[in-house]
Amino acid sequence: MKKQIAVIGLEMHCELISNSKVFSSAKNEYNETPNSNIVPLDLALPGTLPVVNKKCVGDALKMSMILNCKMPEYMYFDRKNYYYPDLPKGYQITQMTEPVGIDGEIEIEVDEKLIPVKIHDIHLEEDTANLDHYFDTTTIDYNRAGVPLLELVTEPAFHSASEAVAFIEHIINIYRYTGISDADTKRGQVRCDVNVSIMDEDATEFGTKVEVKGVNSISGVFDTINYEIKRQTELKSQGKYNEVEQETRRWDEEKQITIRMRSKVDAIDYKYFVEPNIPKFKIDANWIEDLKKSIPRLHLERKYDYINNYGLSNYDAGVLVKDINIANYFEECLELNIDAKMAANWITTQILGYINKAEISINDLFFTPKRLADLINLINKGTISSKQAKDIFMKVIENKKEVMEFVSKDNAQISDSEELTKIIDSIIGNNPDNVEAYKNGKTNLFDFFVGQVMKETKGKANPVLTKEILNKKLN
Amino acid sequence: MKKFTSEMVDDYAAKLLFSLTAEENKMVLDEFDVVDKNIDIINEIEGLSEIEPMTHTLDDFAFQLRADEATVSIPVQEALRNAAKTEGREIEIPKAVD
Amino acid sequence: MLEKSITEIHEALKSGSTTSKELIIESIKKSHEVQDKYNAFVTICDEAKETEVTEELVSGIPFGVKDNYSTKDVLTTGSSNALKNYVPIYTATVVENLFNKGAVMVNKTVLDEFAMGGTGTTGHTGAVLNPWDRTRMCAGSSAGSACAVASGVYPYALGSDTGDSIRKPAAYCGIVGYKPTYGMLSRYGLFPFASSLDHAGVLTRSVEDAAIVVDAMKGIDSNDMTSWDSSEIKLSSSLTDSVQNKKLFYIKELCDINNYTNPSEELKTHLKNFHDTLNLCRDLGMEVCEESVDQKILNAIDSVYTVISCAEATSNLSNLTGIIFGPRSDAQNVQDMMREHRTKGFSPLIKRRLVIGSYVLQSENQDRYFRNAQKLRRLIVNIMKDFFAKYDGLILPVGDGPAPLINDANDKLDLKMSALNSHLDIGNFGGFPSITIPNGFVNGLPVGINITGNCYKDANVLSIAYSLESKMSFKGQIAKERM
Repeated sequence: MKKQIAVIGLEMHCELISNSKVFSSAKNEYNETPNSNIVPLDLALPGTLPVVNKKCVGDALKMSMILNCKMPEYMYFDRKNYYYPDLPKGYQITQMTEPVGIDGEIEIEVDEKLIPVKIHDIHLEEDTANLDHYFDTTTIDYNRAGVPLLELVTEPAFHSASEAVAFIEHIINIYRYTGISDADTKRGQVRCDVNVSIMDEDATEFGTKVEVKGVNSISGVFDTINYEIKRQTELKSQGKYNEVEQETRRWDEEKQITIRMRSKVDAIDYKYFVEPNIPKFKIDANWIEDLKKSIPRLHLERKYDYINNYGLSNYDAGVLVKDINIANYFEECLELNIDAKMAANWITTQILGYINKAEISINDLFFTPKRLADLINLINKGTISSKQAKDIFMKVIENKKEVMEFVSKDNAQISDSEELTKIIDSIIGNNPDNVEAYKNGKTNLFDFFVGQVMKETKGKANPVLTKEILNKKLN
Repeated sequence: MKKFTSEMVDDYAAKLLFSLTAEENKMVLDEFDVVDKNIDIINEIEGLSEIEPMTHTLDDFAFQLRADEATVSIPVQEALRNAAKTEGREIEIPKAVD
Repeated sequence: MLEKSITEIHEALKSGSTTSKELIIESIKKSHEVQDKYNAFVTICDEAKETEVTEELVSGIPFGVKDNYSTKDVLTTGSSNALKNYVPIYTATVVENLFNKGAVMVNKTVLDEFAMGGTGTTGHTGAVLNPWDRTRMCAGSSAGSACAVASGVYPYALGSDTGDSIRKPAAYCGIVGYKPTYGMLSRYGLFPFASSLDHAGVLTRSVEDAAIVVDAMKGIDSNDMTSWDSSEIKLSSSLTDSVQNKKLFYIKELCDINNYTNPSEELKTHLKNFHDTLNLCRDLGMEVCEESVDQKILNAIDSVYTVISCAEATSNLSNLTGIIFGPRSDAQNVQDMMREHRTKGFSPLIKRRLVIGSYVLQSENQDRYFRNAQKLRRLIVNIMKDFFAKYDGLILPVGDGPAPLINDANDKLDLKMSALNSHLDIGNFGGFPSITIPNGFVNGLPVGINITGNCYKDANVLSIAYSLESKMSFKGQIAKERM
């Protein structure tokens, strides 16, 4: 068998942040108490009508811009008709005819390389109710019915599970940067359908596409893709590629396999048509401008800024941009003229270490960029050592006091070169043999002299200055 | 012209989640021919391909999108009021499986 | 007293010659009589209470509501077994607006199941009989409302109109039926049949009452995106009988008796009566012109209506599964449960329409059926808008004569259904304001004419009807049984 290439496409659904639902005024909030965030529309009571939430449309337009999609002149919605107990109206209001964005493209980073991903479309729609299954019954909670969803559909753009996962992580990051969604996979806010096919390396036509629905975790997407590639490749190698059908499967998380749901022959005809209850509306150019302005600089742009203009490593830059608040913290440090590498070093080690342990947001950290600037200034001036700085960092947080409060005469470094010279002169005077030996080539004795200085100053001697003076005196 | 069969009619009905008696099936079947003739009447009109389908009643709706403000939930008793079976705060149905 | 106009009743209430309580009691009593004779109601609100009489014209006065308007705590069935036990938790905006002005709902009126019919015979509580002749239908779907208003149960009742469901029963019952421009009245709480064609409206015994009631019901509604702000429009105070120089047109192909092969005597009388009414218009100083519309297009009106309304209905009725509301079977499987609910809940007529709607929406059929119907809809609306650029209104006879016999009730789609019976659909295609008023009798049974104008020109349309009504003797008429 020829070498096989996998071709993968994603449909990524993500719940949006808003006060109210997308077509009803019920609260959009995760709530443990069933049926506590509902209005008549969410139950599809006869006579109820959808009313479109402006914020959700704005957020959808923002995502469309970020994905470099073409936006329609008029916005409207369609009905997708099917029966399922989690869909009270018997149709989902979605966008088919004129999605909020089509034909987009966005660059993502995979293994430190940028690759473009073509976007088929992105559209705004509503979530379904939540079903809880018991032994022989199912109960329905309508809190989630009508929660705003954005569905992003890629072209068959990926060739491996890791590319697909990198894309999902990239998009999740955008949702969080823009505040459009928390994209919390643990709460089921991100759900994916995965399309997988394989083809001969030199083939020009795609193989048979298998759709796996309802994959609710990033690891699930990874495993699903690899499972399908393996399953399809094995069948092909056994000469049974005709057993790979154009069909819909689902991912069984427990068994780690995909299971057939229905073949294409049984595909549901959703009988889409334009929702007459929501008038077509022209998307206002000024609104678009305002929305555009409200989009923050996104993580990939920042990352390459940090690498190219501030000399950070790909790894460090990657850590900093994982969370917009951390990236913003870093950028505040840059504005305070803290050396970029030093700031990055402090943030990625001390600060992240602390906030992860304390489980707080960097925004709530008492140790602000200004305080970090104070601390780093002291290090740079040689007033304190790096080791001392770490102690002071913790003391500032614990006591909620300023950095300077913990820099006293007692623990200040000796950075006065005259004072140090005196001490060094006396050590050299007291150790003529070692001086002789050093000058005769026993250069490792240099550390002996440094040690003596430290001993004499109880560790407070500025090490850089000490070495400098010793060098002068001994050489 | 399309040939309509009673199997097709039953299939449409099944997809709409109801069943038809033999008599109802026949009525629909007879009507399909009428519908198809009706459509032929429509399709005889010239110049239709140039026209944009009319999906909304008015072309000049003036309205504003809803401000993102939440209202109070209806009480759960009201939500469940018309449901034949409930369990706690939820509506209960026979087990739904994919 | 209930046979009088709203203004007259209001004055009587103000002067103390009657009370709201007396009116409510009388109206409920009358409801039971009408129910026994004509089967017009799903529910009679025996517990209805009088209200304070205020400056609002509708205060203290009873009215009826078609049983497809959601009314909190009052059974609302859509005249369907699928909702035979449904008690809403909220009230439709237009009904709420009337409540807020002190109007008193005394009954819920029978309709064709989910308003999907034109005979008034398909409701789950049985056929509504015509108060002029019990062997005749009222037409539908607002059959109970038309019957009750014509019988003098109250001065007005709410109707809804997707094709002609207010305006045709009004004609068959000898009263006024008015549906304003789409969106003047909120549809929030009106059970949907075909959302792009559905209009709320009213049945009354005079044009003035129609204007008064719509004034009281209208207003932009934050629950209906298709509603619009009409606060600048005051229909009742803009009624005028100075209609000199208004221009009307009628469609030659529909109104010329020579265009019909083997016309019935009824049709001949009906059309002659129509042309007599046109002369009254001329007497009022209006210009009346004949215009021509391609017969092919006229013949296709009914098809356009059928395709679009059935398609939208298929989707609009998808919430009827017995899960959240409606009766349930004890099926052990949720699919079977939903299937049994719908199989038992829908009458054969509804099922037939839904199958057709589903068929025309199938992805492989959409272009040929649904989208072409939507295109023709626009073409027809454009033709009308061109006319409305020249004319104040379109005037046409309603139907091909008086109410047919109930035994002839046939809601099957019929190619032979003449353009004359479907032209009222145009008012729904374009969202045009459209009013039917009685204009005489054929074989002792009432017939009507319809006036339709351009969107937002409701006041103009009403004034034309108002002035014409004053030239005829049918204003305020109460049905008298012919036999």
